[in-house]
Amino acid sequence: MSARRQSWGLAFYTAFVFAFLFVPVLMVVLFSFNKTASFTFPFHGWSFQWYRSVFSSPDYRGAIWASLKVALVTVLIVASIGTLAAIAVTRYTSRGREVLRSVFLVPAALPGLFLGIALLSLFIRTKTDLSLGTATVGHVIYTLPYFFLVASSRLLRFDPLLEESARDLGASWWTTFRKVTLPIIAPALIAGALVVFSLSWDEVLITFFTIGSQNTLPLLIYSKVKQASDPSINAISTLLLTGSLVFIVGVRKFVVDIQS
Amino acid sequence: MSAAAETTAGAAPGVRATKRRRRSVLLLATPALLVLGLALLVPILYLLYQSFIVGLGYGQLQNSFTLSNYTDALKDPVNRSIAIRTFSLAALTATICILLGYPASFFITFRLRRARNLALFLVVVSLFTSYLVRLYAWYTVLGKDGLINTALKTLHLIDAPIGFLLFSKWAVLIAFVNVFLPFTILILASAMQSIPSELLENSRDLGASAFQSFTKVVLPLTTPGLVAAFAYTFVLTSGDYITPALLGGKQSQTLASIVRDEFVTFGNQPAGAALSFLMVLVFAVVYIAVSQTRRYKGL
Repeated sequence: MSARRQSWGLAFYTAFVFAFLFVPVLMVVLFSFNKTASFTFPFHGWSFQWYRSVFSSPDYRGAIWASLKVALVTVLIVASIGTLAAIAVTRYTSRGREVLRSVFLVPAALPGLFLGIALLSLFIRTKTDLSLGTATVGHVIYTLPYFFLVASSRLLRFDPLLEESARDLGASWWTTFRKVTLPIIAPALIAGALVVFSLSWDEVLITFFTIGSQNTLPLLIYSKVKQASDPSINAISTLLLTGSLVFIVGVRKFVVDIQS
Repeated sequence: MSAAAETTAGAAPGVRATKRRRRSVLLLATPALLVLGLALLVPILYLLYQSFIVGLGYGQLQNSFTLSNYTDALKDPVNRSIAIRTFSLAALTATICILLGYPASFFITFRLRRARNLALFLVVVSLFTSYLVRLYAWYTVLGKDGLINTALKTLHLIDAPIGFLLFSKWAVLIAFVNVFLPFTILILASAMQSIPSELLENSRDLGASAFQSFTKVVLPLTTPGLVAAFAYTFVLTSGDYITPALLGGKQSQTLASIVRDEFVTFGNQPAGAALSFLMVLVFAVVYIAVSQTRRYKGL
């Protein structure tokens, strides 16, 4: 009886926690369809006008492009160096392994502020003009640990004997990698790439310092929210949200593939 | 090298081949190490150097050694009160995250069966929901015409909207908890999932009450996860300058916003650098304390 009651209590508590996580965001989605320019209640009826104004605004379009460019280049760089690094750490059988592993995880333990100002100082010192390129450098450092974690957790769970047999049968390192390792870890690499994309798509703390005069989508939203003037914020926020959601559903698909 | 090949080829060539393989494997890490070296280590070392030279403001630096950036940062009474505010806000955020997240993780892990994966997936969705959108979303809840004020007005509990909900340190706290709660739940849930279910059943079979098996089995086994979640939330909240900027009032400056202002507004990089290294020192102490609890628990 009391265990039963306790379970109900826990269930309500958990429901409250989920409501706390989701209600505010769902409000944003709801008001992105509001007919009038009011940010909040009352709700006046359905309309797509804020979405139309997002897509017709050159500011937003420019920011979406900038975000896409930075995220795609980040994914390409991180996926290539991160895959090699994960193979190195998981296949390296020596004491240096743990040290190497911690080195790759360091950026995740530091706040974005710190990475941002460190990069900014160096860019100022080397007289590098801030641009989407310098912003990408920050994103690469920030996302590398997460890709590394996803890729190496998959590599740890597959039998190195498969690779060794291929090598013993005369396959070169490159052939072994292409025909044995890569097909097995591919779903994890795609999942890792999706995680990197959504982290980069969303990054503000480092980008703020390293981008100069251009705007990524989150930075544009930040300045619009600060001015609190543009009713299309709800619509653009919903689009940003949908973007990350699509990616995370993709990750789930690949993670399920990995586990099965 | 497989074991069979090693025995047939003899020990010496086997060892040599293993060494060669080790070296080539290490080579694979080189690109990533180069990137980390050039874009992380070098900038941090340069920042450290900057924290010991004289800043003249407006981005002007003078290459002479000084400790005054650190002593000024430590002596400034404004900094001190902001530091207390920053770290107590961070500790409060981490504590509330655990108070909300621990029972929820417990329920998801031990009480849900078929819905468990769905619940965890929803938490992941929340984690990946744009950080800025989640901050901004509180405007629609706490704002003058937001959810709370509208509800209170409809219930005739208030006549005029309450103005202090948004742009206060409470708004910052609520948003911080909202942002870091998914992390906390996922870390705790993964700690709880690694507890073998027989362990719980056995403790109950041996006569422990539900409460006892919680305090003697679940709690000790999840302590490392708990401490890790606390440390992670503490560090990332202390370093966040966006949330106070969007949701805080005029009095909601944190150490992170001071560092940002030194860099962006005042161009006094050495002062900002010194302050940020003092913050990193605090973070290092927190991380070391965390690793100590882990060793103590033998995990």
